[in-house]
Amino acid sequence: MAVYTPAGVAARRAHGRHIQLSGPWVTAREAFWIAVETLRTHKLRSFLTLLGVVIATTTLIVVMAVVNGMNTYIAEHIANLGANTFVLHQFQWAQSFDEFIKAQRRNKPIRLEDYDFLRDYLRGYQAISALAQIQPGPEARYKGTTIDEVDLMGLTPSHMDIGREKVAEGRYLSDQDNNHNAPVCFIGRDIVDKFFPGTDPLGKEIIVGGRGFRVIGVAERVGTTFGISQDNFVFIPMGTFRAYFMPRPELLVFIKAPDSKHLPELEDEVRALMRARRHVPYHEADTFGINASDTLMSVWKELTGPIFAVTIGVVAVFMVVGGIVIMNIMLASVTERTHEIGIRKSLGARRRDILWQFVIESAVMAAAGGLVGVFLAYAVTWAVAAVFTAKVPLSAVFIGLFLSAAVGLFFGIYPASKAARLDPIEALRTEN
Amino acid sequence: MGSQVASSPVQESHRPADGVIIRTEDLWKTYDMGEVAVHALCGVSFEIARGEYVAIMGPSGSGKSTLMNLIGCLDTPTSGRYWLNGRLVSELTDDELAHIRNKEIGFVFQTFNLLARATALHNVELPLIYNGTPAEERLERAKEALRVVELGDRMYHKPNELSGGQRQRVAVARALVNNPSIILADEPTGNLDSATGAEIMNLLDRLHQSGNTIVLVTHEFDIAAHAFRVIGIRDGKVDRDERMK
Repeated sequence: MAVYTPAGVAARRAHGRHIQLSGPWVTAREAFWIAVETLRTHKLRSFLTLLGVVIATTTLIVVMAVVNGMNTYIAEHIANLGANTFVLHQFQWAQSFDEFIKAQRRNKPIRLEDYDFLRDYLRGYQAISALAQIQPGPEARYKGTTIDEVDLMGLTPSHMDIGREKVAEGRYLSDQDNNHNAPVCFIGRDIVDKFFPGTDPLGKEIIVGGRGFRVIGVAERVGTTFGISQDNFVFIPMGTFRAYFMPRPELLVFIKAPDSKHLPELEDEVRALMRARRHVPYHEADTFGINASDTLMSVWKELTGPIFAVTIGVVAVFMVVGGIVIMNIMLASVTERTHEIGIRKSLGARRRDILWQFVIESAVMAAAGGLVGVFLAYAVTWAVAAVFTAKVPLSAVFIGLFLSAAVGLFFGIYPASKAARLDPIEALRTEN
Repeated sequence: MGSQVASSPVQESHRPADGVIIRTEDLWKTYDMGEVAVHALCGVSFEIARGEYVAIMGPSGSGKSTLMNLIGCLDTPTSGRYWLNGRLVSELTDDELAHIRNKEIGFVFQTFNLLARATALHNVELPLIYNGTPAEERLERAKEALRVVELGDRMYHKPNELSGGQRQRVAVARALVNNPSIILADEPTGNLDSATGAEIMNLLDRLHQSGNTIVLVTHEFDIAAHAFRVIGIRDGKVDRDERMK
């Protein structure tokens, strides 16, 4: 039999300093493994306990994912009028309801004369186009098939250099078409899919708004925005649009700068020309709107504030409820493990060791809830992304985990201090 | 090396001489039970030298458990002084006592007091965890201690997978692992059948032979007979103190 002598270990006491240094870390690690073990042995109880934290974390991350997804989406799809492009319209798009009411009284629509004026007098633009639209969209027919509503737009052919629709087959609208009010159209992929599955659409005549148009070109697929297809359009020449549907349409005028450096300059130029043309006194506001991508972004940014405020409220409520449940279960756990605490204390656990054990257990438990919340959030986000738009930002994952661990820490303090203050003799005497 | 210092006259208010591991001086413990004060200990004084094998005996209610709690630094006396390994421990705070328990005392309890969910090895590691011994050294020392109690092949078993005798041997290994000044065994055979009890007592005898100081708290004469000296407690006082061997 091996003999265990005090002398053998006395030598080891020589590295006392080293031992002291690593002390807190060693006990923290012990506490961590106790927590993991507890979670493992009481799976269902732990899950139920952590439901609040799980829901809170999931909510937080999903909202952040949706907002993040929307940000990307808006940047890519809506706000992207095309690089370096802005739109002259009767109204400024991003403004409050009150301002809109005022603008409705004051602002005048943009007409073709305005477009002609800018086309002739504005300098330094790369392209300028005008767009008129019928709302709601008219019905379209081809042989026996009907589409209830299409986006019918009258366009100047110069829109080819500005719009995001690219020619896939045939050709775009031309100046000749426009000058002769030709009954021709350039159509989106949805129209092709509906009317001409498996056949060549070029040269066929479709009926839109009661008038016949010959298909001269088909666009590449654009995609969807907020789940709404952007390929359900019929473009016709502006001249034809005026002749058939609306002699004096209200316009959107698209203006494209040669590069981003010249964009602000060009906006100022348009503003000056329009104010002069409309005789707007210098102390009065514009009677028109100049809308760039960043205007649209600012609308969305104004919306995200309230969204986050509501989210913070909801998450806070769940976290506090979750924290209280954790505190409750930790108190039960302290009672249940009084004998264990007695044993640990008899072996030299100090108050702070016991305190740490339970605080870390509580934090690890809550963080585990946070982790489940993260996975759940990914699942929900995945489902949301299928119909809407959402993408989990990494920062949301970190915030979620940090917050849940912090809740566990905070609500673990009271039960842990109760455990730490237990009298070792009393605790040892307790049977469990 | 057992029995050279023992019954030298108690010198009041002086730090004990070298070689004296335990010295108590007029220990009193009084419990306030509302109207009446119960004196569990009424002036207990004795010394135990390094390497001694002492049994503290007494019937239940004698104050024996209270004395064990004081010696084990689980509790502090109402009055009187207690030196352990040259240090006055009767006036320390909770956390200082915890540190002393960790460093100076190896407990062996009647009910084993092992953590049910932990392996034998982890149970033995616990005292080392609480003094921050790094993992590698901790593991090595815990394994060594388990080999000393001949449980080298049961390290990864949990207490419920071990027999009573094996559990108590795990507890002994745990008591040993930190190389304490004293091993304090409180009725170590109380929950064991006589054969297993004898086995545990043999283990304690061997530990004594290899230089450990052992304090045995018991009410059984045949268990106390293993010790070299018996301190009898009755009504909170030392009523006999004699060397057996």
